[in-house]
Amino acid sequence: MKKIKKSTLAMLVTCLVLIPLTLYLGTFLSGRSYYITATLFIIELLIPFLMAFEGRKPQARELVLIAIMCAIAIVGRVAIPIPHVKATFAIIFISGIAFGPETGFMIGAVTAFASNFFYGQGAFTPWQMMAYGAGGMLAGFLFKKKRLPRNPPVMAIFGFFAVLLWVGPLLDCSGLFLMAPTVSFSWIVSYFAAGFPINLSQAISTVVIMLVFGKPLLDILDRIRRKYGMQENEPEV
Amino acid sequence: MRQDAFSNYHPAVNFLFFVGAIVSCVMIQHPAYLLAGVIASGIYYLLLNGRSGWKTIGALVPLFLFLTVINPLFNTSGVTVLFRVFGRPYTLEALLYGVCVASIFVVMMLWMGCYNKVLTGDKFTCLFGNLIPSVSLLLVMVFRMVPNLIRKTGQIGGARRAIGKGAGGASLKQKLTAGVTILGTLTAWTLEGSVMTGDSMRARGYGTAKRRSFTVYRMTAADWGMLTVLLGLLGTVVGFAIGGSMTATFVPQRSIAPVSGINLLGFAAYCIYLLIPTVLHIQEAIWWNISRYRI
Repeated sequence: MKKIKKSTLAMLVTCLVLIPLTLYLGTFLSGRSYYITATLFIIELLIPFLMAFEGRKPQARELVLIAIMCAIAIVGRVAIPIPHVKATFAIIFISGIAFGPETGFMIGAVTAFASNFFYGQGAFTPWQMMAYGAGGMLAGFLFKKKRLPRNPPVMAIFGFFAVLLWVGPLLDCSGLFLMAPTVSFSWIVSYFAAGFPINLSQAISTVVIMLVFGKPLLDILDRIRRKYGMQENEPEV
Repeated sequence: MRQDAFSNYHPAVNFLFFVGAIVSCVMIQHPAYLLAGVIASGIYYLLLNGRSGWKTIGALVPLFLFLTVINPLFNTSGVTVLFRVFGRPYTLEALLYGVCVASIFVVMMLWMGCYNKVLTGDKFTCLFGNLIPSVSLLLVMVFRMVPNLIRKTGQIGGARRAIGKGAGGASLKQKLTAGVTILGTLTAWTLEGSVMTGDSMRARGYGTAKRRSFTVYRMTAADWGMLTVLLGLLGTVVGFAIGGSMTATFVPQRSIAPVSGINLLGFAAYCIYLLIPTVLHIQEAIWWNISRYRI
């Protein structure tokens, strides 16, 4: 009998047992329990990804590489001294494009988590991990196997919509569940509307960074990969 | 005296306390309990942060007021109508519920602020290092890398200034290109180093055996005692909560469980739980001053 992989098992247990159980028990709790339920839901969603990463027994090179990319995404704020222009999203997306969806997710999630040790953890941490990770994963997925051409304009357009419609709203969800007195339709609409300008400014700064920095960074990453023969099992794109 | 007594307990004790405090503050919307939460978290936050803590609290006040007054605009149910906004009723019940939601938010922010001071990165990796070894190793590397990269950024900037390519006082476009060049140099530089680090790790035997992590934290008798006390108090609070002594609904009609008789016991347990770190901190400060006078 073929042995089931531990990470696959974790995914199945999470999706089929843990999440339904959380949602079911959540309906019994009083007060503002939907915030707890929603946050638990997000944490449980993170578990299979982390388990898959642990189960893969990542090599030392890969670990250090991910750590460096996370550190650069965090330090990006220091290197570009222009307010509101943050390179974090762009660096996460480009890493996802260069190293594939799985590594992209890890880089995003760890960046969110680690940067909060410097800027302060909050109730939003799991949401932020999920949002950044999902952004890196989406980038890796869409640009894999030449689904999308890797040129700066396409990457910039992708970055714009990914921040505006994918990462930004996911981040807004955490505030929505925390601050909303009741999760009603009018509140959701007004909350996302309030978050829109911030998401838009982030999206625009991502576009700028992608246009200026996308090609050079991708070249650097590809060169490192070729030079040291990393991830040889993946076909050269 | 700059040490916080509660921070000296085992990370597991600290983590349990904050999980309990934050979850209970979100779940219980009874005004008396919320008030206890605001007071306990506020005092502990100020003890941990000193004078700069007032700044955060000052910033939370307008947010509190905003969240309070905005709720009745969305939630129009309630019996007592105060006035009408664009024809929609603005009710007292919804306003009170707004106070409740806003205080939950404030208490959560304050506990999170305390959490950041108490549960530092090394304590987190100590707690979860065995559960997610690769991820916690990643975290440790990022923690080390960030100050290192900031230093390197300064070095690259200095070198560029020395050859006349500094970005001082330049236009936005020049600043951006300079920043991007620095970032590119930084990436290329550190990635080369990362491959070396990775190979060196492998040469020293990384990945050949199960990884164990070094921690300086040990569960002592005092830690077990504190863990028991915290769990006991939490159990009492949960018991009373299931018994219904902490229920409070605001809309459409106010119905708040009275804090009297047997219910006082649950309230007392909750207050003691929340005040433990504060009491420990103050006790430590008193002991410190007494021993200083004895010298």
